[in-house]
Amino acid sequence: MASTLSDLMLNDRGFAFDPASGETFQLSTTGLRLVRLLQQGMKPEEAVGYLVGEFEVDENTAWRDATEFLRALEQLGWISA
Amino acid sequence: MHTRAPYTRPTVQRLSQGPVNPFRHGASPACSEIDGVTVADLVKQHGSPLFVYSENTLRSLYRNAHRAFTRRYEDVQFAWSYKTNHLNAICRVFHQEGSIAEVVSGFEYEKARHNGIPGNQIIFNGPHKEKADLERAISEGAMIQVDNMDELLVLADMAKGRREALPIALRVHISTGGHVVWSKFGFNGDDGEVQQIIRRIIAIPQLRLIGLHTHIGTFILDPEWYQIATRKLVGLALEAEAMGAGPITYLNLGGGFASMARLHYQYLPPEQVTPAVDRYAEAICDTITGMWPANRPLPRLYLETGRALVDDAGYLIASVVAVKRKSIHDPLQAALVAYGKNSAPLVAHGSQNALVLDAGINLLYTTTWYQPRIFPVKPCLDAPVPTTVYGCLCMNIDVIREEAPLPNLNTGDQVVIHPVGAYNQTQSMQFITYRPAAVLVGQDKRVHLIRKRENLEYVQGMEVLPAHLSGS
Repeated sequence: MASTLSDLMLNDRGFAFDPASGETFQLSTTGLRLVRLLQQGMKPEEAVGYLVGEFEVDENTAWRDATEFLRALEQLGWISA
Repeated sequence: MHTRAPYTRPTVQRLSQGPVNPFRHGASPACSEIDGVTVADLVKQHGSPLFVYSENTLRSLYRNAHRAFTRRYEDVQFAWSYKTNHLNAICRVFHQEGSIAEVVSGFEYEKARHNGIPGNQIIFNGPHKEKADLERAISEGAMIQVDNMDELLVLADMAKGRREALPIALRVHISTGGHVVWSKFGFNGDDGEVQQIIRRIIAIPQLRLIGLHTHIGTFILDPEWYQIATRKLVGLALEAEAMGAGPITYLNLGGGFASMARLHYQYLPPEQVTPAVDRYAEAICDTITGMWPANRPLPRLYLETGRALVDDAGYLIASVVAVKRKSIHDPLQAALVAYGKNSAPLVAHGSQNALVLDAGINLLYTTTWYQPRIFPVKPCLDAPVPTTVYGCLCMNIDVIREEAPLPNLNTGDQVVIHPVGAYNQTQSMQFITYRPAAVLVGQDKRVHLIRKRENLEYVQGMEVLPAHLSGS
């Protein structure tokens, strides 16, 4: 049984604790930013726009990487497909 | 003005005991310069990929090794092993430091002569020496180290009519007890074959045995093997003299000292495993001085160490041309999931980061046996994760490292691969792409081009088109 995204406990260094499984995770800087934006209820496409605005990345690269990241979150059960 | 932060890919990684430490976040080791010259400048001037050699490191490795031996033994002579790296600039650094040349073919002999080394300062080694090359080497006074009976008979024939007997040395392979015997090299020193050959030489008046050589292997991590080899070689030398061969004036212990490279499946890092060169020196020098008759001058000691002098001075800069994910199968994780002992499998366990570089294993032959360190050039913000590093060849075997600890890199980022100074230049092959340029960073930090990047003219230069195919 995994938690949903809103249940995750995060710190500012990207350390994540899943209270349902008791497992811990490490998010990269951009991974942490995306998770926090998604926790606020933002849609993925909007969140990727934030990445492009805040980090030195072009939109295509950000989309490619975010797609892989969201797939990882789906497999963890933190977000639904 | 709003400035954007450096980008790293968004990732999530399950933490498990051991390999991942969250407090290393932002602490991936990087290599942004080589000997005070930034990698960015090197790539800007000479492109990517690019071999880079540090003159400072070459000289300091040589001096350190030479000092280790001369502290313990009076008459020591290093001979630069051309096969380890035959770039003229590299050879000449070692010649400037005092090395003579050790060559194993006519091609290398020509190279050494071209580099200004007189014949009598060339050790001519190797299992195959062309007759014409032997004739030249004999006429120029090179030190011939005989590998096999066929070569011995050719030499005996060539030496007919000489006023003085031709001085030669024998290559001997020796068991050191803990290692595969490199029995390709020379005559068997353990089963009486060498003594048989020595008797044969004594019976040929135009030949005179003056030296014995052994090369016990490569990347020898246990100096005791040199102690054993030296003990046996000195024993053979004294036995040869007792048999009537005349004075043995030199012993050659070959090469094989380890660099700071890391073998595949080597558990401990090189910092903990690679012996200091002093330990090799102690094993060899103390054994000779302990066994050699006190009333006789010690034989000259030749060493042909290559890898330990050049490997750590060589780097390959390469660029990331694509980022990928590579599927991996984790049987333990699958079993845990099947028995309900764990949460859903995480993508990080089902796949891992992968990179494609613009350099392939055709440039890095030694990755067959060693796993070089791969550093990002830019200091990275995220923690290193296991990353498969592919080369640019269109072949599935082109994997530079199966699992290098690297942060999330992006297309266009550069990496530095180290140490790669030994054997990669000489064993690289032109395949699919042009081989890269090589530069030497001088002691004054000036960057010298020492091998140009290949081009179509160079690659096709030796081809000949039959007349019926040469029309447009």
